Amino acid sequence: MSAAADSKRSASFRQSTALAILKQNGLNIFLAIIALVFIGFAITTHNYLTLFNIKTIVRDAALVGIMGIGLTFVTLSGNFFLLSMKETAALCIITFATSMSHDYGFIISLVGALAVAMVSGGLQGLLIGRGGNPIVVTLGAAGILYGIASWWSDNLVISFRRPNDAEWLGTGSVMGIPNITITFIVIAILAELVLRKTSFGRQVYLIGANRAAGKATGHENRSMAIKVCMIASVCCAIVAVAFSAQMSSAQANYFSSEFGSSGDFTILVIATVMVAGNSIMGGYGSTLRTSLGAVFISAVDNMMVLQGYNSGPRVLSVGLMIVFSILVFAYIRRDNRSEG
Amino acid sequence: MTFFNFKKITSNDPDLTFAILLSALVFAFFSLYEPLFFNINTGFAIMERFAVLGLVGLALTLCIIAGEIDLSIGSNAALSAVIVVRLTDSIGAPNAILIALALATTIGLIQGFFIAYLKVRAIVLTVGTLMLLRGITLFAADEKTVMLTDFDIPDFIQEKIFYIFSPASFLVLGLFLLVALFMRYTKYGREVYAIGGARKEAVASGVGLKRPMMIVFAISGLCAGIGGAIIGLRSGTAQPLGLQYLLLAATVAAFIGGVSVLGGKGGVVGAFVGTLTVNFLNTGLVFNVTPAYIAQMYLGGLLLVVILFQNMSKVYEDKQQRQLKLADTDSFRQRLLKSLKA
Amino acid sequence: MTNAPWLELKGIQRHFGSIKALRGVDIKINRGEVLGLVGENGAGKSTLMKIMSGFDNGFTGDVFVDGSLVELGSPNKAQALGIAIAQQELSLIPTLSVAENIFLGGNHGPTIASLSTLSNLARPFLDEVGLNDIDPKMRVHRLSVGESHLVEVARLVAHKPQLLILDEPTAALSETDSERILNMVNRLKENGKSVIYVSHRLDEIFKIADRVTVLRDGASQATKLASELDVPNLVTLMLGRELSDMFPPKNLDRQGTSAFKISDLWPDGLLSPISFSVNKGEILGLAGQLGSGAGEILAAIAGSHPVRGGLITDMSSGQSFLPKSSKIAISHGIAYCSPDRKHDGLFLGRPISENLTSPNLKRISLKGILNTSKSDSLSADIAESFTIDPSRLPHEASVLSGGNQQKVALGKWLSINPGLILVDEPTRGVDVGARAEIYQKLVELAESGVSIIVASTDLLEISELPSRVLTFYKGALTSELEGSKVNTDNILKEITKPESFLQLAGDAS
Repeated sequence: MSAAADSKRSASFRQSTALAILKQNGLNIFLAIIALVFIGFAITTHNYLTLFNIKTIVRDAALVGIMGIGLTFVTLSGNFFLLSMKETAALCIITFATSMSHDYGFIISLVGALAVAMVSGGLQGLLIGRGGNPIVVTLGAAGILYGIASWWSDNLVISFRRPNDAEWLGTGSVMGIPNITITFIVIAILAELVLRKTSFGRQVYLIGANRAAGKATGHENRSMAIKVCMIASVCCAIVAVAFSAQMSSAQANYFSSEFGSSGDFTILVIATVMVAGNSIMGGYGSTLRTSLGAVFISAVDNMMVLQGYNSGPRVLSVGLMIVFSILVFAYIRRDNRSEG
Repeated sequence: MTFFNFKKITSNDPDLTFAILLSALVFAFFSLYEPLFFNINTGFAIMERFAVLGLVGLALTLCIIAGEIDLSIGSNAALSAVIVVRLTDSIGAPNAILIALALATTIGLIQGFFIAYLKVRAIVLTVGTLMLLRGITLFAADEKTVMLTDFDIPDFIQEKIFYIFSPASFLVLGLFLLVALFMRYTKYGREVYAIGGARKEAVASGVGLKRPMMIVFAISGLCAGIGGAIIGLRSGTAQPLGLQYLLLAATVAAFIGGVSVLGGKGGVVGAFVGTLTVNFLNTGLVFNVTPAYIAQMYLGGLLLVVILFQNMSKVYEDKQQRQLKLADTDSFRQRLLKSLKA
Repeated sequence: MTNAPWLELKGIQRHFGSIKALRGVDIKINRGEVLGLVGENGAGKSTLMKIMSGFDNGFTGDVFVDGSLVELGSPNKAQALGIAIAQQELSLIPTLSVAENIFLGGNHGPTIASLSTLSNLARPFLDEVGLNDIDPKMRVHRLSVGESHLVEVARLVAHKPQLLILDEPTAALSETDSERILNMVNRLKENGKSVIYVSHRLDEIFKIADRVTVLRDGASQATKLASELDVPNLVTLMLGRELSDMFPPKNLDRQGTSAFKISDLWPDGLLSPISFSVNKGEILGLAGQLGSGAGEILAAIAGSHPVRGGLITDMSSGQSFLPKSSKIAISHGIAYCSPDRKHDGLFLGRPISENLTSPNLKRISLKGILNTSKSDSLSADIAESFTIDPSRLPHEASVLSGGNQQKVALGKWLSINPGLILVDEPTRGVDVGARAEIYQKLVELAESGVSIIVASTDLLEISELPSRVLTFYKGALTSELEGSKVNTDNILKEITKPESFLQLAGDAS
């Protein structure tokens, strides 16, 4: 091959490389702009940039963020979303509180909640891995899980005594940082490490990027779906336990519409995954993005509260963020996707 | 008219046959179990329920046929209900209904446009619009449950006509008929089937995505709007965060009626039968004083059973296809051997 | 009727970056004429067809329809001008009926009509393609492959085009169905239509074409009357002597020990079970057209194609196993590169380095934790040996050219240190430069002891690369060629033989 052809080739390589870099980072550039705009608002809102407020923001993001991190594994592996997150949390919270109210202690109650999560997650993952549409399967599972939770608890509130050994998680803190926030940060770091540094994490990305190619190189979605659904469900369990520890009680509808002002907890969790730029088709993104997404949504919500808005505009703004991010990312990525 | 040719349906459409059988089974079960079930008043209650669920079931059926799904249908209906209830006092029910319907249909159109134009999957977009519409509804309702001041105004839609029907259910049945004719006899209806069953091929054949997608989501919006309006007027109240149960019920109805996650399969008749089945189930459970969450549990379980069944029948079908291909290969071989010997 | 051609393309050039897909093509076709278009893989046929049917606008050159200069701006425009193309991949909707499919997309059908009305309207078009006995109300998924292809053409005919471009119309068809296609082409010709018939099946070209245009390396060779040509001349025009320089010299002795034995493997699509073995360091070729069984055998060995039975024996370890899944094949050191790299050969959104290490994560990790230095060195080694620019390793695979993508799709398998490499269409959609590099690498691998089985429909490739070739036709093994007998003439003969061929059931070596 002649030198002239070589240099011509590498010139066009470089050209296409530059464009590729722009494309690859177009997403991040866009997000950076949003962040800057937001910071602009932040500086002009009274009482916003205080240490106390920032701690509040991160703490409020914690519960949604942990579930979002779990869901991110599902999304990155190309298995879309689970619509059964809040119902899984409902069943786990009932399990936990029931066990605590029988004085079994934190450890056993935690294990119980985790077991319930792993079984329900595993079953859903089994169906999804065998070809079930994740939306339809989890829609059905949601009905079943919530039904079981309500039925088991007769739809009543289950309380357990104070003091109890779950309080450290719910209301305790270390050096001024709530334990719940610490849990969030620890899980966020752990998840990111798993995705970046383990072969399991690599498999998540590969299967998400191209399921057929994954199969051809020995990575099947059949087992991956089970694993990621379990991870997502375990995160739901952790959130359920933390919330129950905060309230020293549980009721099946704790995560339903009345939870916070968010309108729909599951959708809020999905929002944290989407808003920060994770690809919904899988294969691109990270739990770091989700964590930032959770904090960002919490930050926006917090600002709106400080500026005196009611739940309507706040729900509306979350919805707008989701829709806006979907449309923008779809536009940026439009060349990379095929029909159907 | 071959529309109702019974024999043809059973031989050509095993999914529909299954749906009809299931429907009859559920009805028979509750009739035997609960003697009060099989009576005209119950029939009226069923048809009244059908008026709302049927609409949403029809909407979802069309979306799934087109290869998509509309998760925001509950929120759209809730918005409609709130608008109708809030505006009836000031501008009268008919005008309020018109405004609500226009808004709901426009919302659907816009969603359909973005889905087709930006090639976003509806699953993804409607997750966002679900939340967005809910926010708008909260805003429109001032965060509280809205109520009519004069509860007599909307009674007209609940008048009993002809044993078990009412103006509401008649309207819905009429809509079913219109949509059925549209899907079966027009080019646009066929396009919806095409983009659902084989989207790549449809686009390659020159079928634009925009028109069928916008039509389907506009109909979905319209149905959600009418459903919300009916509920709002019937009860005289509207909760901004309500009507979320409609999604699961409508999805189950659609799948019982024979749609497939892969798109391109199903029809209005199936939607009708599927909705009736879910209605029988719901009403029967109400008779037994079962709480709502238990009903949801049964529906969730039913949904899983139906898609499990669909999956198994697909596996069976694939096996049959393979056997056919192998038989072809073998018969070709026989012919070759014969011609060699000759 | 004038003597001017109906469609004429002059001086067509199409570049993709630095790759010249078309270097200068002149082609014309008259009314009532069938023009055969032939050329090897990479000659530019698909690029040219995309241009002619309006799917590609980035070319230079002139297009004349009926004597006037036109702009083929879009597929719709081309269709409006009277040009229709039937691609290899069908675009029928399986869940709809034949009649509905025929009137889908476009304004040539009624807006409101019952299925019966559409059926009646569809009848004449179905007759025109020879499907007189098909019920137009039948759903497409119940048709045979051949009937589906004919319905696809009927759908195009319903738009009343003047020119029909048929891309490999008989590639996956049985003898009877192929006959129907040929009859249909004649019928169209008699009705004054024009047909451009693109095919690898040279025997068919000679059955129906009036003239033949040969594409070679992006340029059209002189067009000749079919009556002035025969198969050997045609092959010479298609291949050209200079292309043989792409191939490294062959090692013609079949020495060495047996590496893998395939016993009674019966993939779906093959008429009877097949047994053969491949030696260490041997490049074995499987020659045959699409659907002949060659590709199916490769996929079956890799566990990606259904089989009725069969055993694979790794002679070095003595282990035998059933080819049930790709995981099993990989665990025995068998690598498979499918003919469709975009579908399952590449992770386009991931960095090239991740692609290269994807089949063997164990090798770059310890107890589940990825080891960056192992991963970097492995991907750098593979990149170097396949002449991929190592500075591009962190980039997404999607930015690569077709040739480089194929190198990644193939190269990633080096990570499992395979004993057997199965590759189907190793240079499909690959430019000449990269082709040479890939061939060089394959020969190097063979010399180091790896067994390679290649399946290809590219005549030159399958005769220059392997030292031994098994030929297939319509699901049966037709011959085994070795040494000097491996040449384009023999291979072509064995993969296009008529039905009275010899070796069948249990006769394979």
